[in-house]
Amino acid sequence: MIKALEYFLEIIHGAWVTTRHFVVNMWFHTLNLLGIKTRRKGAVTIQYPEEKKEIAYRHRSLHRLLKREDGRPRCVVCMLCATTCPSECIYIEAAEDPEDDEFQKYPAKFIIDLSRCCFCGFCVEACPEDALRMDTQKIELAEYSRLDLLYDLEKLLQ
Amino acid sequence: MVKITIDGRQVEVKEGMTILQAAESIGIEIPHLCFHPAFPPEGSCRLCLVEIEGRPKLELACSTIVQEGMTISTQSETVRQARRSVLEFLLAEHPLDCPICDKAGNCQLQDYYQEYGLFDSQFKENKERKSKKVALGKNLILDRERCILCTRCVRFLKEITRTGELGVFQRGLRSEIDYFPGQPVDNNYSGNLAELCPVGAITDKDFRFQTRSWFLQSGPSICPHCSRACSIYIDYHVGFPRVELDKYVYRIRARENPEINDYWICDFGRYNYAYLEKKRATKVLVRENGQAQEGDWDSQIERLVKKIKEFYLKKKTNRIGLVLHSALTNEELYLAKKIFQEDLPEVNIFLIDPPEGEGDNWLLTPSRTPNLKGLELIGLQPQKFPPEKPLTELEILIIFAYLPHGEDQYNQLRSLLEKSHFSVLFTAHQTALMNQVDVVFPTTLLAEKEGSVVNVEEKLQKFPAALTPPGTARSEREILLTLGRGLGINFSFYRQLKTPAAVFDQLSQDISYFRGSK
Repeated sequence: MIKALEYFLEIIHGAWVTTRHFVVNMWFHTLNLLGIKTRRKGAVTIQYPEEKKEIAYRHRSLHRLLKREDGRPRCVVCMLCATTCPSECIYIEAAEDPEDDEFQKYPAKFIIDLSRCCFCGFCVEACPEDALRMDTQKIELAEYSRLDLLYDLEKLLQ
Repeated sequence: MVKITIDGRQVEVKEGMTILQAAESIGIEIPHLCFHPAFPPEGSCRLCLVEIEGRPKLELACSTIVQEGMTISTQSETVRQARRSVLEFLLAEHPLDCPICDKAGNCQLQDYYQEYGLFDSQFKENKERKSKKVALGKNLILDRERCILCTRCVRFLKEITRTGELGVFQRGLRSEIDYFPGQPVDNNYSGNLAELCPVGAITDKDFRFQTRSWFLQSGPSICPHCSRACSIYIDYHVGFPRVELDKYVYRIRARENPEINDYWICDFGRYNYAYLEKKRATKVLVRENGQAQEGDWDSQIERLVKKIKEFYLKKKTNRIGLVLHSALTNEELYLAKKIFQEDLPEVNIFLIDPPEGEGDNWLLTPSRTPNLKGLELIGLQPQKFPPEKPLTELEILIIFAYLPHGEDQYNQLRSLLEKSHFSVLFTAHQTALMNQVDVVFPTTLLAEKEGSVVNVEEKLQKFPAALTPPGTARSEREILLTLGRGLGINFSFYRQLKTPAAVFDQLSQDISYFRGSK
């Protein structure tokens, strides 16, 4: 009996919170409408996904590989990102460039398994060549199959 | 014996020792790059400076002999300062391209820089550019920028292999390592140079850019490629969760063993490791009506046991043929002897080994299996193959095949196989023989089992399993034990032999050579 009463109290409490938000927001919207300036603006719902909120500059989003001026990836395959990755989602395979003397090592395969990635950003911090960044601002990464979440060199260089 | 004091500890060391060796013997490590215990000291890296009381200057630990009453400090402020300065000079031209250097992770210079240096260079000048990719021979690549001129490679070739292909050319600042014209480093021990180099100047073509050394795990094992049976480490990569690697074993390194191979192994043993994973047999295959099907271990072994038992009860064991090879461990050969020579009388035992190859006068022997001596000592008495009088009445053939060096030696078996009534093949590799036998059992290689071998100099070595066997493969020791227990002729004897160590204990009780060896 007392338990049932508690449920009703919670429902009433919830209704009170909703009403409070509605009234407070309406109050500030009305004030704004009337041209009375207040420091606080009323809350507005963003119509996602038609409308998108700007993401903070430091937000860790989808990875990208940077290119050198001549278009080749900056990555020199030191594998420090793969070493530091706590979810072991980076796999790189090196190849040798017989002509270039300075950057002899380049990635033949660079796979980030986004289904395992926890977006900690350690790989970006570990990179000594600034070849990897997480600033694409892309956060909608859902796919229908797990294999589509294996991002390879081609996808990451875009 | 000489009494000295190192870092406040009074110790007695042997006369004639250098300070470095004395310190190492009591567990104090003095950083050094050019010194290697296999050669006389050179003193070119100047990193092992220590302070000796009463001497005006710092002395080199690698080349100063201990004297009575010496008081040495290896960690004083002066010494540390000197080490820092030496490191700074060494790094003045060293490119610090550790991210792409194959040595990174087990580079001594990198370690010492972490421990003593961690400074910003005071040199304002740009580092000099030199050639980064000089082929020294078919296995080696030299990066002159990284070279610190410790001359370990030059000394190895001069004093150990005595071939002397490398030398220091030019003088002073322009000194560089190079081979004498028309004489690249192509001897059978060149792979040791990559291991010997304290920095990443000489790297292995085979391992170049394959992976980073910290991803690898090392398993101690022994080299099965000749009867010297050198101690080795097998470096393997456990792989990544979702991407399959095409390689499992990445390199073979020498394991220090002063009795057999010191610090070295030959290139034949170092680069022949593809057999560990190429074309491996992983499943039990049963042939029925000409079709190979997957079978299971227990029922097929039981089938074999039943056949042998049948012949044993009919007293027709001379119709059983057993083919062995000498790349089995002592424990396995001992069990084979117990079962097929003692329990079952008159079994025809043959030994088919890979054909002899070329040897050199040092480590590599012509024989291509590691345990020929063990086979002799254990007392297995195999017949020659092919036998002098042709065998027509063999009805059961049990073949233990060893195929890393090709399968030509088994060609003559084929005619025997055609006639035999029931034949089984224990093999670690896939082979053409598989189509001719009734049952194929996958077995392990030496790197995947625990045991011991006796090398050509009658030196006994025990080793643990370094790798995990592929698929359902089982070691020959397990198979033979199952056979021994299944036959039931001497059940209680085989029941107690559960581990390789237990088999070895039994072996050492039986055969005097193995007695007292731990």
